[in-house]
Amino acid sequence: MIVFFLRRLAYMALTMAVVSALLFLLLELTPGNVATKVLGPYSSEEQRNLWLEAHGYSEPLYERYISWLGNFISGDFGQSLRFKVPVSEVLWPRLWNTAVLGFWTFAVMIPLALVLGVLAGMNEGSALDRTISVTCIGTTSVPEFASAVFFVAIFVFWLKLLPGTSGMANGFTFQELILPVMVLVVYDFGYVARMTRASMAEVMTQPYMRTAVLKGLPYRQVILKHALRNALITPFTVITLQINWLLSGVIVVEFFFAYKGFGALILEASLNQDIFLIEACSMVAVFVAVVSQTIADLSYTYLNPRIRFA
Amino acid sequence: MTDKSKKKIHQAVPELANKLAKGDIDRREFLRTATLLGVSASAAYAMAGGVAGSQFVSSALAATPKKGGKLRVSMNVKEIMDPATYDWGEKGNVARQFIEPLVRIDRNNMAQPHLAEGWSASDDLKTWTFKLRKGVKWSNGDDFGADDVVFNFKRWLDPATGSSNQGRFSAMTRKIDTGKKDKDGKKVMSTVASEGAVEKVDAHTVRFNLNRADLSLPESMADYPALILHRHFSDEGGNLAKNPVGTGPFALKQYAVGEKAVLERRKDAPWWGGDVYLDGVTYIDHGDDPSAQVAALASDQVDTNYQTSVEQIDTIKAIPNLVLLEAVTAQAGVARMKVTEKPFDNKKVRQAIQACFDRKRMLDIVYRGLGAVGEDHHVSPIHPEFAELPALKQDYAKAKKLLVEAGYPNGLKVSIDCVSNPTWEQNTCKALAEMCKPAGIEMAINIMPGGTYWDRWMTTPFGFTSWTHRALGVQVLNLAYRSGVSWNETSYSNPEFDRLLDEAGTKIDPNERRKVMAKLQAVLQDDAVIAQTFWRSVFVAANKRVQGTFAQVALEHHYEKVWLA
Repeated sequence: MIVFFLRRLAYMALTMAVVSALLFLLLELTPGNVATKVLGPYSSEEQRNLWLEAHGYSEPLYERYISWLGNFISGDFGQSLRFKVPVSEVLWPRLWNTAVLGFWTFAVMIPLALVLGVLAGMNEGSALDRTISVTCIGTTSVPEFASAVFFVAIFVFWLKLLPGTSGMANGFTFQELILPVMVLVVYDFGYVARMTRASMAEVMTQPYMRTAVLKGLPYRQVILKHALRNALITPFTVITLQINWLLSGVIVVEFFFAYKGFGALILEASLNQDIFLIEACSMVAVFVAVVSQTIADLSYTYLNPRIRFA
Repeated sequence: MTDKSKKKIHQAVPELANKLAKGDIDRREFLRTATLLGVSASAAYAMAGGVAGSQFVSSALAATPKKGGKLRVSMNVKEIMDPATYDWGEKGNVARQFIEPLVRIDRNNMAQPHLAEGWSASDDLKTWTFKLRKGVKWSNGDDFGADDVVFNFKRWLDPATGSSNQGRFSAMTRKIDTGKKDKDGKKVMSTVASEGAVEKVDAHTVRFNLNRADLSLPESMADYPALILHRHFSDEGGNLAKNPVGTGPFALKQYAVGEKAVLERRKDAPWWGGDVYLDGVTYIDHGDDPSAQVAALASDQVDTNYQTSVEQIDTIKAIPNLVLLEAVTAQAGVARMKVTEKPFDNKKVRQAIQACFDRKRMLDIVYRGLGAVGEDHHVSPIHPEFAELPALKQDYAKAKKLLVEAGYPNGLKVSIDCVSNPTWEQNTCKALAEMCKPAGIEMAINIMPGGTYWDRWMTTPFGFTSWTHRALGVQVLNLAYRSGVSWNETSYSNPEFDRLLDEAGTKIDPNERRKVMAKLQAVLQDDAVIAQTFWRSVFVAANKRVQGTFAQVALEHHYEKVWLA
């Protein structure tokens, strides 16, 4: 177990090092001048050169990378060019906002998807199964940017029920969270439900299920005790992987609803070549990816004692 | 210049008044030129009223303004650390609620003294004396005065500041040899303030000594990087967001880039301009998605916005509690060709591209006809000195002939860079490309984020650049087409053009200037460095409860007299 952990940790550190070095290199190769971003298009060549020199850009790339890496390890993420404040000052609040959005999305989506998936899988081929399956395929095929427009047209412009943007300018309100959560749930629940259904349907055909039913156990107990525990392993993996998806999948939704989260931040940082902010965001993304995978792997041992880590 | 001449009105003013009486110039031209030459606005209006027999009706509000309430504005909230390096109007809008310029462009597109009380110019337009407003208090308790203005100008003209004002006030700069050599062994030159350019006369008077006549000096002081900072700005950290000392009607209370800016009515001292009706102004950032702004307006999350794109006009009009405000401007997009790059170093290629355009159709397709057609010389019909030239016509036969002469008998492939947002810019490029096809010119469109475009706007061979509003025609010609100036994106250099531009800069009377302008415009049009599609109007949406607001030509927010019904 400890070996497993250490290996994962080493894997994470390696990924972070590779990603950060690549990003530095890529941004260096991207045509364009960071001084233009800061001083604006109307600055003169001389003014830009003076700025570059004053901000350490005249040193070679590897020196800048190593000094960034040293600072990063010691917890100093550098200064954002776009926001003109330390990176950590914008990064953590934005990450928190996305966590809030993610939490509520999961809080709605997981029960909904599991219930629908289990119901469909229990009665494979029934009218209920077909209805659920078709609905799931339908909602999952509509991309977020389309459903977002759709929901805004209905709930904001037509019914005038909900606020059109979710900037939380006057503090957190649930009202502003409804539409982004709705869009994310509608997009994602179908996928998880379909996975659950497939897994459930497979379990339902297992011999031990037939045995349990035939030996006279109440059907309710058969489903809850025998079927679910086995059927939920697949959806569980899928769900933990959704955490990863959510981190980048929210970009569209956050952009559309002006929600001040991590996705919108990545977008803004990339469009503005805000190198330290991009680096920090990517490190967070790698961290979340590796951690969520590790959690998924570890949970297997609980859900399925047959899985062991070497 | 003697002390006496400072007090007397400029020699050209009585002449102008005569022309107004005879109907040679219109009232607006008179007002503009007279105020530019230092006649106070009220005096100019009185003169115009007296001369033309018409009474100036103030834009006073019909109802009595009500105090209270906060105005919520949807606008990108960008960093505002240093006004001298501002490159977006949005930055200026947050800052101008608490720091102010010397001169402001009002709703009639006229330069009005703001922190300045008035100004006068020497007859050769090289020496300008600015009287500053007395009794203006900074929010830290200091008095505003000449030291503040001198500090700002010196800072702008210092190359290390990186301010675009260095280009704006280039008549106060000179080039010096730094003694260093670059990689190619060429001398590294530096642009610095010329000796004695900015001079403190007394506590409330500043004199500017220019190398050349500049008619538009007051107008240049109205641009957003020219907001006046406290004289200790640099010593106190040089960060406006952290240390928001200002003279304006509001005070910055909270600031989060990309999220919001909260301003409240100033409490430490009354604002010099009298009553301020709003309790505060809150800017809310809805990102770069224009539909988010509309959704916010529709669900009453905000009262007004920074700008409504032309695509959204119908939506805004369909929402009953909103009004659409329009400003006719001299903002324009130009497909500019770099004369030092192939194939645009050949004038015939440039002229061939120009000949492909049907400008009226372009305006109708891309901008719904809301503007005026461009004529490839970057002087707008709303500029006072605009000279009417024969209209340009789409002429494919001519385009093909020019291409053959230029050595491209089998057609030509070019690629234009443009920004993805606002969409009218890429739409214009798409229309340009379609119109070029029949002449055998294949125009690829390279759409990119604004940030990327502004990295290369000075260097790309072919790019679509949007230029903001400038009140005078000579202003933009000086900034963009004079040989060697820093924003000369086409690398255009024509001694004849420069000479005419110098001449135009000394003609105070718009009618006299127009005669020179006719030649200037014709030269620029014939040299074909830009294909200019149209002049566009700009739009702002506002809730009906917002009173006294208007769409300003440069989309500036003047909120000190705005109130909520």
